[in-house]
Amino acid sequence: MATLTTTSLSKSFGKTRAIDDISLDIGDGEFFVILGPSGAGKTTTLKSVAGLVDVDRGSVRIAGRSMDGVEPYQRNVAMAFESYALYPQRTVSQNLASPLRSGRSGRYSEAEQKQRIELVTTTLGIDHLLRRFPRELSNGQRQRVALGRVLVRPADVYLLDEPLSHLDAKLRAAMRSELKQLGAMSSTTSLYVTHDYQEALALGDRIAVLREGRLVQVGTPLEVWHEPVDTFVAKALGQPEINLVDAEVDGGVLRAAGGALEVPVPRDSGLAAGDRARIGIRPRDVELGRGAEPATDHLRVRGEVRLHERLGREIELTVDIGGVQLVAVAPGAEQVTEGDAVDLDVPLGKTHVFAAGAPGEDTARIGAPTVPGRNR
Amino acid sequence: MATELMPGRKRLTTGSVVADLAVIGWFVFSLFPIVWMVLLSLKTSAEQTSTYFTFSPTLENFGTVLSDRGTALTSVDFTSALLTSVVNCGGAVLVSLVIGIPAAYAAGRWRYRGSNDLMFTILSFRFAPELMVIVPLFVIYNQVGLFDTKVGLIWVLQLVTMPLVVWILRSYFEDLPADLEQAALLDGYTRRRAFVMVALPLVRPGIAAAALLAFIFAWNNYVFPLILTGSDNSTVTVAISKYLGGGGQAYYNLTAAAAIIGALPPLALALTIQRYLVRGLSFGAVKS
Repeated sequence: MATLTTTSLSKSFGKTRAIDDISLDIGDGEFFVILGPSGAGKTTTLKSVAGLVDVDRGSVRIAGRSMDGVEPYQRNVAMAFESYALYPQRTVSQNLASPLRSGRSGRYSEAEQKQRIELVTTTLGIDHLLRRFPRELSNGQRQRVALGRVLVRPADVYLLDEPLSHLDAKLRAAMRSELKQLGAMSSTTSLYVTHDYQEALALGDRIAVLREGRLVQVGTPLEVWHEPVDTFVAKALGQPEINLVDAEVDGGVLRAAGGALEVPVPRDSGLAAGDRARIGIRPRDVELGRGAEPATDHLRVRGEVRLHERLGREIELTVDIGGVQLVAVAPGAEQVTEGDAVDLDVPLGKTHVFAAGAPGEDTARIGAPTVPGRNR
Repeated sequence: MATELMPGRKRLTTGSVVADLAVIGWFVFSLFPIVWMVLLSLKTSAEQTSTYFTFSPTLENFGTVLSDRGTALTSVDFTSALLTSVVNCGGAVLVSLVIGIPAAYAAGRWRYRGSNDLMFTILSFRFAPELMVIVPLFVIYNQVGLFDTKVGLIWVLQLVTMPLVVWILRSYFEDLPADLEQAALLDGYTRRRAFVMVALPLVRPGIAAAALLAFIFAWNNYVFPLILTGSDNSTVTVAISKYLGGGGQAYYNLTAAAAIIGALPPLALALTIQRYLVRGLSFGAVKS
C-alpha cells in the first residue's frame, strides 16, 4: 500500500520517443488505468515505474520514497507482463512460489506459501493446473498464472500490463468484474494498462489516456467519457467511434450537413460567425425518432439509411443526412433496412464541439462541459 | 487425396529419384576416405603399400599405437598425447565457457558503447590464419616459459574456442525474452540470481552445442600444438602426423589406426550430449 508519483518521465529508444513527460500522481489504493493504442508507451511507463527501463529524464516515487538508483528487486512492486513471462522450466506452482521464495516480499514458511498459492489459484480458477508447465496451458490460463504471480504476494504497487487481453470474450468480461473485487487488488495501488476502453471505464478509479508517448487526458471515467479534451480521446472511447461532423457558425448556432444539423454554440467558446468547428455525436446517444415531435432537448433530423449492420442485440445504422454520414445504434427490434428514410433524434445536451481540422487530424475541445450539473 | 493422407508412403517422381541419387552420391563421396582409413588401419605393414589386393585384417596396429611408448617402432607416445589432448581441449572449453557465457550474455542482452566492436574483435581472432601469428607466439612462449606446457596450450586454444562460444551463445541469449529475467527481478531476485535461475537453464542446449563445437575445433587444431609444444605435451593431431615419417619410415597403417582412436573422444562427447544438441541446433532457428 503506497502512493505512486511519477515526474516528467521521458525515454527514447534510438530516435523513437517512447514516453515524453509523463507525470502521474496516484493515490494510495487507487486503481489507475492507462489507456492507449499500441505503441503509445503504456508498457514503457509501467517498466519505468518498475525500474526495468532506465528513463532518460524524470523520477519515480513510491510511498514518498525516491526510486532513483533503486534496483527493481528492491522496489517492492509486482508486475504481470503482457507476454506472461512465466518461467518455462517450472510448474505453475513453482512459478507462483517464486516471489515468495526470494525473501524480498516477506518470509514465508512452506505451509504459508502453499496456503497463499492455494488462495490465489482458487480465486483465479487455476487451482487444478498447479503441476502443469506453462507450455501445457492455454493463453488464457497462462495469463491467469501471470496475474496470480502478482496477487500471491503483498506489494506496494501492482503493475498490470494488459492482463486480460488474451482471454476469450466471455472470460474477459467475467474476470473484469471479478478483478476489482479481489481483496489484494482493491487495497493495493494498481497501475493497469489496457487498449480496451471498456476495461478502462469499468475498472479505473481514474484513467490516463496516452498517445504517442504523451498524456492526453487524466480523469475519472465520467470525466473522460463526458468531457474528452480532444477528438483523439473522444474517438478512443466508445464503439462505434464518435461521429465528427464539420460545421460552421451561422446565426448563433453550429450548422452542418447543409443546414440539417444545428447545434448551439457552447458557452465561452469564442467562436464567431463564420468560424468552422467540428461537432461530435456519440452513436449511442442518437435515437430513432418516434411520434411527431422530437423528445425535449433533441434535434430531429431526417436521413436515408445507407448501411445496416446487425451487431447482436443492436443494429448499427449509417445514415446519410444532407451528404453527411452519421452512425447511430438502434435496438435490434427496429425494422429498418438500407434505403429507408428514418428520423434521428440527436440529443443537443450530449454533443461535443471540437476545433476545426483536416480529416484525421486531432483537435481540441471547445467550450464548457456539456454535462449539466457537473461541478468541475 | 487418399495418398496424401498416408504418411510414409512417398510418390516416386523423377525429381525425388534424382534427389535421392544425389544424396547417395554425396554420402559415398564423403564416407569413402573414412572407409579407406578403416581398411588401412586393419592392414599389416607388408600390405599397406601393395598395389594388388590382399587383405588379412588384423587389430595389431591398434595394439601397437596404444602400447607403444615411443620405444618399440616409432618415437611416438600416443596414449600420453591422447591424455594431453583431453586435458588441453577440456581445459580450453572450460575456460571459454566460464568467460564466454557471461560475455555472450552481456553482448546479447545489452547494447553498450563499443559492444559491437568488442564482439567483432573476438570474432577477428578467427580471421587470420594461425600460421600468421605463430612466429611471434613461439617467441613469446619461449621467453615466458609457456613453451611445451598445458597451460600455454589451453591459453592459445582460446583463440579457437572463445569466439565460437561467445558468438553461438550470444544469439541464444538474444532469442531469450528479456521479460523472463525482468519477471525474476520483480520477484525479488538480484540480476545475478535472475541470470543463474532463469537465463542459464534456458540456454543449456546452446551451451552444449557451443561446448561440443569448441571441443572439436580445439581437438582438431594442429598448428598451435605442432609449434608450441615439444615432446612432453604433444597432442593427438601432432602424434598422428609423426607416424608419417617422424621415425624415418612412414607407417600408414599406424597413422590410420591412430586417427581412428583419435576421432573417438569427440565422437563420444557428441553422443553423450546429443539429446541437448539436437534441440540446441534448432533452438535459435525458429521463433517459438
